[in-house]
Amino acid sequence: MNKKKSIFNDQRVIAALVAIALIIVYMIFSKEFRKYSSILSMLDFSYYTLLMAFGVTFPLITAGVDLSIGTGMVCYALVGGTLIRNNNVPVAVAMLVCILMGCAVGLLNGVLVGVMGLAPFIATLSTCMITRGIGSMCNATPWPTLKQPGGWFHSIFKLTFGQGRGATKFPIGFILVIIIMFVMEFILFHTKFGRYTLAIGSNKEATRLSGINVKFYHVMVYVVCGFFAGLAAIAYAAVVPTVQPGTGAGLELDAIGGVFVGGVYATGGYGSIIGSFIGTMVIVLLKTGLPYIGLQANWQQIITGAVLIIAVLIDIMKKKRIQ
Amino acid sequence: MKKKLVASLISVAMVATLFAGCGSTQEAAPAAEETATSAAAEEEAPVAEEAVKEDAPAAASTSEAAEEAPAEEAAAPAGFDGLKANEAYDFPIIVKSFQSTYWQAALKGMDMAADELGVTYTAQGPNSESDIADQVNMLNSAITAAPVGIGLAACDTTSVLESLQDCADKGIPVVAFDTGVADAPEGSIVCTVATDNTAAGAEAAVNMYAAIKDVIADAEGQVRIGEINQDATALNIQQRGLGFVNKMIEQLKADGKTVAVVGNEFYVNAAEGADAAEAVADVIIEVAVPAQTTVEYCSNEAQVILSKPDTIAIFGSNQTAAEGVLAADANLSLLGSDAAAGDVIGVGFDAGSTIKAAVEDGTFLGAVTQSPLMMGYYALYALTAAANGDTLEDVPTAGYWYDAANMNDDNIAPNLYD
Repeated sequence: MNKKKSIFNDQRVIAALVAIALIIVYMIFSKEFRKYSSILSMLDFSYYTLLMAFGVTFPLITAGVDLSIGTGMVCYALVGGTLIRNNNVPVAVAMLVCILMGCAVGLLNGVLVGVMGLAPFIATLSTCMITRGIGSMCNATPWPTLKQPGGWFHSIFKLTFGQGRGATKFPIGFILVIIIMFVMEFILFHTKFGRYTLAIGSNKEATRLSGINVKFYHVMVYVVCGFFAGLAAIAYAAVVPTVQPGTGAGLELDAIGGVFVGGVYATGGYGSIIGSFIGTMVIVLLKTGLPYIGLQANWQQIITGAVLIIAVLIDIMKKKRIQ
Repeated sequence: MKKKLVASLISVAMVATLFAGCGSTQEAAPAAEETATSAAAEEEAPVAEEAVKEDAPAAASTSEAAEEAPAEEAAAPAGFDGLKANEAYDFPIIVKSFQSTYWQAALKGMDMAADELGVTYTAQGPNSESDIADQVNMLNSAITAAPVGIGLAACDTTSVLESLQDCADKGIPVVAFDTGVADAPEGSIVCTVATDNTAAGAEAAVNMYAAIKDVIADAEGQVRIGEINQDATALNIQQRGLGFVNKMIEQLKADGKTVAVVGNEFYVNAAEGADAAEAVADVIIEVAVPAQTTVEYCSNEAQVILSKPDTIAIFGSNQTAAEGVLAADANLSLLGSDAAAGDVIGVGFDAGSTIKAAVEDGTFLGAVTQSPLMMGYYALYALTAAANGDTLEDVPTAGYWYDAANMNDDNIAPNLYD
C-alpha cells in the first residue's frame, strides 16, 4: 500500500466522520435526540449488534461469513430464558449456557467450513435454519426484569441508581464494549491467532504451505464468532422485554453490514475491530436515529442500504487505485 | 474480484429470500413441535375435564361455561345451544404457529369444546407466523384427507385463497378463527370467529380517555397522544389502530377539543373526524409505524414519541408494540397510572408476562386482551355445527379491558396468557 496515503484513505476515518455527521444532524433537527434517555436507549440497542459485529469480523476477514449469528443469538437467549423460567436455573448459569451454545454452533460452523470444506455461506445458512428451528421450539420467554430476582445481569450493561423517575442510569455496557474492542483489536493484530486469521484471508494455500495448521485456525475463527453471538444473546436478553421465538433472522445483516461499512475487504485478508465498531455504530445510528428527524420507516431501510453500497464501493475504488 | 463482490451482494439478497422459506427445509423441527404441543395439550386436559365434571350433560355444561366466561357469552349465537355432534368428528385445525402462549390458550378453549361436544381435533402450525408457505402446505395436505371441516387461522389471508377455493369445490366447510379472510371464495368459509378489532381499539381509547380527561381539560398548551402500530398492512392492526384513533377523536370532540392526526400516512388518511391543523390543534394524535415488526423498532418509535414533552399518553396496539413502549420506558421512566401527577398514561394490548407485570405494577394503566380461549372454544363449536350441516353466522368475540384491579377475576384471568 502507498505509504504516503492520507488519513482519508482509511475507511474507518470516513465511517467515523459519517457517524459524527449523523449525530450532528440528529442533534440539530431533533431536540428529543439530544436527551440523555435517547442516547441511553440507542446504546442499549447497539450492544448486541456490536458484539455480533466483533465476532463476525473474523470469518469475514477469512473471506467467509457467518449467517447463523442472528437466529443463533435469539435461540441462545430463548434457551437461557426457558432454563431460568421453567427450570429455576440461576441467571449466571443461563448466561454460561448462552456462551457455550454459541461456541458449540461456532464449532459446528468451523468444522463444516474449515475441515469438511463447505462454502461458508451454505454451512452457516444451514446452522441459521437449525438455530431458528431450535429457537422456535421454546415459548416466548422474558428474562428477569431489573426488579425481579436474577435481574442483576442488567447491571452488566446499565447501572441504575435510585428508583422510578429519579433514577440515574449509566451505560456501563458501552465502556465494556470499548474494552472488548481494544482487546480483540490486539488479538487480531498482535497474536498468532489473529495474524493467521489475516493470513488465511489473504492466501489460504500459501498459509497452509508455510506449515501453519490452517484447519485448526479456520475452525477457531468460527468458534470466536459463535462465542460473540453467545455474548450478544445476553445483551439482547437484557434489552428486549420478551424474546420471541422465530425472530432474529436479519439481525446478523446489521452486524455484517456494519463490518463492511467499517472497511473489511469484501475479498478477505484485511479488517479491523475498531473499524467494525465504527461501521456498526453508523448502522445503529441509521436504524435508531432517523425516526427522530421524522423520517418514515421505509426511508430508514433505503438510506441504510444506500450507505452500505457506498461503503463497499469505496473499498472497490481504493483497490482499483492500488492496482 | 468484482465477481466476488457481485456474488456477495446477491448472496445477501438471497439470504433475505431464503429466510422466508427457512422452515420448509427443516422437517424435524415441526414434527418435534407437534409432540411438544400435544404434550402441552395433555397437561391442559385436566382443566377442561374439571370444567365438564360438574355438570354431566354436555348442554348444561355449555351454558355454565357461558356464564363463567365474559360478556360476549351472553351474546352467544343461539344456534350453539345444546349442540351435539352427529358423529365423532375429527377436525384438522391449522394455527398460525405455536410460538406464543396466545395459541396455547386457543387450544385450551378447543379442548374444552371438544370434551363437551364429543369430537376430536388435530392442531398443526408452522414454525413461525411468517412461514406462510409452510402453512399453505399444511392446509393443502389437510384438504387431501377430505375432512368434515377445517379450522384455520391464516398467517396470510391472500396466500390461502387458492386452497380455500379447493375447499369450496370439495364442499369442505372452513371455520376461520382469529383472522378473517376478507376475499374468501364463496362457500369456503362458513363462519369467522374473530375479535372485533375496531371495538377492541375503541375499548382502549375509552379507558385511556377516562384517565387523561382532566389533564386534557386543564392543559394550557397542546397535548399529544401517541399510538404505536406494528404495521399498516395487516387488517387486524389497521382496524385496531383506527378503532382507537377514531374513538379518541370522537371523545375529544365531544368535549370541545380540536384534534390533528399526524405520523404514518395510512392512519392519517384513514382517520375520521380530525378537524385541525397540527400547529393549532388542542390535541395531537401521533401514529408511528416501525420499519420492521420487531420490539427493537417499536421501542425506537415509542422513544421518539415519549421524548416529546407534550406527550401525555401512549397506546401500543399489539403485544410487540406494547412491549416496545415498555422497552422505551425502561430509560425514560415516564409511564405511570396517575396522570394528574404528571405520569404518562400507557395502555397495552394482548397479554404475555411482560405486559401483565406492567399492568400489575401500574406502569401500564391497563390493556385490552382478546379472548383466545373463547375463540378456540367457539371455533370448535362452529366446526361441529357446520359438519352437522347447520348454517352459521359469524361469531365476533370482544376485547376486554383489564387493569390491576380486575386482572385476577375469573372471567379475565383465563385469557391472560403468559
